Amino acid sequence: MGMRNGGGMGGGGGGMGGACFVYPDAPATPGIVSPDVTYDRGIYMNGSMTMDDGRSVRIWGFTDGFGDGGMMASGPFPSPAMRVRAGQVVHSRLDVRGMMWLHTIHHHGIEPADHADGVGHITWDVDGLYIYQWRPMHPGTYFYHCHTNTVLHAEMGMYGALIVDPPEGPGTLLSGGPTYDAEAFWVVDEIDSNWHSLSWDAGTCGADVGLNTLNPDYFIITGVDGSGTSAMNLPPISASIQVGQKLLGRYICAGYHPQRINFGGLTGTVYISDGRPLPNPVQVTELRAISGERYDIIFEPTEPGNYIISTDIIDWITGEVLGTAKTNVTVTA
Amino acid sequence: MKRRDFLKVGSATFAGSVFGSVGLLTWAPRSYAQTISKTFYITDGYQNLITGENVYFRGFSDSQNIVNVPGESMIVQQGDTVKITITNTLDSTHSFVIDGLVDSGPIAPNQTKTITFEATDVGSYLYYDKLNAPYNRLVGLHGGFAVMPNGLSNQMYPGSPTFVQQYFWIFNDIDPVWHSAIANGQTPTTAYEPRYFTLNGLGGRPPGAPGAHDPNIDALTDPRSALHGHIGDRTLVRILNPGLAAQSVHCHANHVEWLTENGQIRPDVWKKDCLYLDGDMGALDAIFPFEVPPDSYPPVTTGAYPMHLHTEMSQTAGGGYYMFGAMTDIYFE
Repeated sequence: MGMRNGGGMGGGGGGMGGACFVYPDAPATPGIVSPDVTYDRGIYMNGSMTMDDGRSVRIWGFTDGFGDGGMMASGPFPSPAMRVRAGQVVHSRLDVRGMMWLHTIHHHGIEPADHADGVGHITWDVDGLYIYQWRPMHPGTYFYHCHTNTVLHAEMGMYGALIVDPPEGPGTLLSGGPTYDAEAFWVVDEIDSNWHSLSWDAGTCGADVGLNTLNPDYFIITGVDGSGTSAMNLPPISASIQVGQKLLGRYICAGYHPQRINFGGLTGTVYISDGRPLPNPVQVTELRAISGERYDIIFEPTEPGNYIISTDIIDWITGEVLGTAKTNVTVTA
Repeated sequence: MKRRDFLKVGSATFAGSVFGSVGLLTWAPRSYAQTISKTFYITDGYQNLITGENVYFRGFSDSQNIVNVPGESMIVQQGDTVKITITNTLDSTHSFVIDGLVDSGPIAPNQTKTITFEATDVGSYLYYDKLNAPYNRLVGLHGGFAVMPNGLSNQMYPGSPTFVQQYFWIFNDIDPVWHSAIANGQTPTTAYEPRYFTLNGLGGRPPGAPGAHDPNIDALTDPRSALHGHIGDRTLVRILNPGLAAQSVHCHANHVEWLTENGQIRPDVWKKDCLYLDGDMGALDAIFPFEVPPDSYPPVTTGAYPMHLHTEMSQTAGGGYYMFGAMTDIYFE
């Protein structure tokens, strides 16, 4: 599959309106085989998230199943998780049939053939039903997101967790490696609500729609406003374990600004980052992260308590803390 | 104000030169130290960007009649004597600095200064104008400089993982308001709000866009930036950030082997799909291994993939134009 040779300008018919530099297509999948696992994903463009201040912010995302694709469709945020085992052949079937917009699925950190990578300018932005075929080989925490007008579509919420378990399944982080008793999902993101009234193709033809500047006014963790207590005591964002149990924190830096996650007095051991085991696991009380990074951290608390997991979102230029998203880990005797 | 043409690549004198700035450079080690001579002209001019906006730049240029942003990359060998002659054609004072290696001191308008230093420590460096920091550096007075270990062609430092070719990825961010102020001899007073983001001086031009596939205009195909390799062509990338924004360097197709961070060799080599590049002079070295994309099924050995910054604001130009920012393509041939 080579680089395509142009034809992007104007986006072409099919209700694409004024979009530029999009590459609508939905061909047959090369080398397709029977999968071990199939995920069907549709699109919703009229979801919402209610913030602690009572305000509702528009969210786009993927539905579990093909959905009706209508203008008014809503769905879960984050998008429904995918959870597979290393070595399984997976089909992610994306349905954009009959819709007024283009999208893709990029399985971030998964490294498939380019026709399964979901990058519009290399291959296509899906305008029908397309099957991404991939076989994850490395256990760890990933996420999937749309890669069409990515700057906007990922900010709008078009992402979901993607977990690759070893063949043993959940409870084991790595074959022959550490195990865990409980999991928490810390998908930290920031929202600039000014972006959330834009159209799917905003800016693609060159209009200045402000996508160079993300001025977030909300700070969220796994789809919940993290500025107050909304994400406290709310599994699977928060977790409750007993002394002697092991908690796996799956941290995804899903925003665009840098982050610093602090574990509130807990010390964890990072075994995996970006889906690859560290040659030597490292002990941490906090981590800094940049957009798209993931860390898999195991905690074995020895003291009961209520530990606040706090992530600062930090301006990419000034280093100023723009806001904080919090959840908690409760440890009982 | 002189009006000069921008020259990015194509002078075609790189092959066999010690001044390597094109991809596929093969370093030829020597058993003896040499004196390496290079002349730069500090020049300025305007570059017409995708939005039609003319933006002021200064560069360490190969002749008085062009503006090179960044300046031509240099690769020397440890122990070499490096002799740099700089002619300042502008009416403002500038300098040539490589932190830890050399500082020219002020070079007055119309002055020519020759500086000589020994390349003592292996590694990746930015050469830049340290005066009026960060402004002269931001408007283009910077370039890549590398010191290879004595007698080694395939290691970044003695004992490092090996490679067969090496590239520079120099990222920058551009606030035209600041550039205008600097052109007028003023100190910027507005908040920094970059509107353009470049890799080796260029933004992307996706298929169908004006300038797409023109290596002098399009960062996706610029041979200094786009990686080309067959399976096994392990590629060292020296990543430098004269810009002010922190960035996430995200490669598709393969995890990179992360060797150094801000001039320090990492205690372990982690395999990462996103690298945290600090703003304001951040530096990283990593090897893109050109392995079979591990999650492809059936496995593939050819294809095209992007490298892009996951700090997605940097994928835009002028507030829109997704894919016209700092990104390139990776070709498995």
